[in-house]
Amino acid sequence: MNRTADLQADIGDVLLTETDIAAKVHELGERIAADYAGRTITLVSVLKGSLPFMADLMREISLPLRIDLMEVSSYGGASTESSGLVRIMKDLSASIAGEDVLLVEDIIDTGLTLNYLIRYLRGKNPASLRICTLLDKPARRLVDIPVDYVGFEIPDQFVVGYGLDYGEQYRNLRFVGVLRPEVYGTAD
Amino acid sequence: MSAAPTRPAFAHASEAELARILDFYEVRWTYEPDTYPIGWNLDGEVVESFAPDFYLPDLDLYIELTTLRQKLVRKKNRKLRRLRELYPDIRIKLFYARDFRMLMLKFGRMALIDELTGTSGQATPPRSIEPEPAPVEVSAVDLPDQPVPTEDQPATPAPSPPRGRRRGRRRHHAIATAGNGEPKPLERSGGS
Repeated sequence: MNRTADLQADIGDVLLTETDIAAKVHELGERIAADYAGRTITLVSVLKGSLPFMADLMREISLPLRIDLMEVSSYGGASTESSGLVRIMKDLSASIAGEDVLLVEDIIDTGLTLNYLIRYLRGKNPASLRICTLLDKPARRLVDIPVDYVGFEIPDQFVVGYGLDYGEQYRNLRFVGVLRPEVYGTAD
Repeated sequence: MSAAPTRPAFAHASEAELARILDFYEVRWTYEPDTYPIGWNLDGEVVESFAPDFYLPDLDLYIELTTLRQKLVRKKNRKLRRLRELYPDIRIKLFYARDFRMLMLKFGRMALIDELTGTSGQATPPRSIEPEPAPVEVSAVDLPDQPVPTEDQPATPAPSPPRGRRRGRRRHHAIATAGNGEPKPLERSGGS
């Protein structure tokens, strides 16, 4: 994508304001702290989209915790040739065997990445593995996976901001907004 | 050394694309493995059936893709409704053209959308569209030898549609592999 993003004009509706997000992250932090009281948890953030959410969420969890980061390759490319298989671009830096792990996602839509990650992380024998996502788009779901903590269930629109991108842009928006269809070249 | 896995002959480029996506994320699939009868004539012969595009065995889920014109979408919706009525235990998701476009948008492949959808995405000549079952006039039916129904002997009821899963003719199987020709186990043995 060569087009330079216009952080204001490219956004149609603001779906979630900065205030909405902050309030929800605080609520999730309190719930997680209550559920894991007395335990040490490891938050695993899936780069890159969940970075802002992870940074804010961890500060709302008043418990001893560790953080770790992973990055997984995404399907895509400009060709119809095979893209191979999903790869771990960046693996965990420490063992999670015997740990209480909370996987932190920015958005769950098809569930394909999450399905893969769950299988992968379970292979590392954590004591427990739960899922926390800021955004859930159930209309897009291919793989049904129970999610333990959901910030917002959102409609079937292409959203950006607060870590979510289109073509690696718009991640730095403080809100979550709906990208104008003109930006990605088609109207539904 | 095992041979390269044989891909099924997809009827449409969008099906091939979905197969690539499922392969990428290591989700096992089979292509059109099952055919479900959804319509019968008075003789109990199957006159209409439905064969979902993909079956994901680990998710017990069928996926049907439709990226073609609206007339065919309506026909498919009708068949899908009938399928769900007859086989309520079947889990099936229908991907319309919009759903497929959103999937391509998610994966940054909108530039390929014209190539993968609509009639331009058909990999083979259009399949013959099954004609709608023609209404049958009773007087025109050559009934098999059966006793004439009387008050004491009711007429033999028409055969009931089979119930349960996958009672249809099992068709092509193409167990996807993960690129090395061997079925890919789902569970990793641990370690990075």
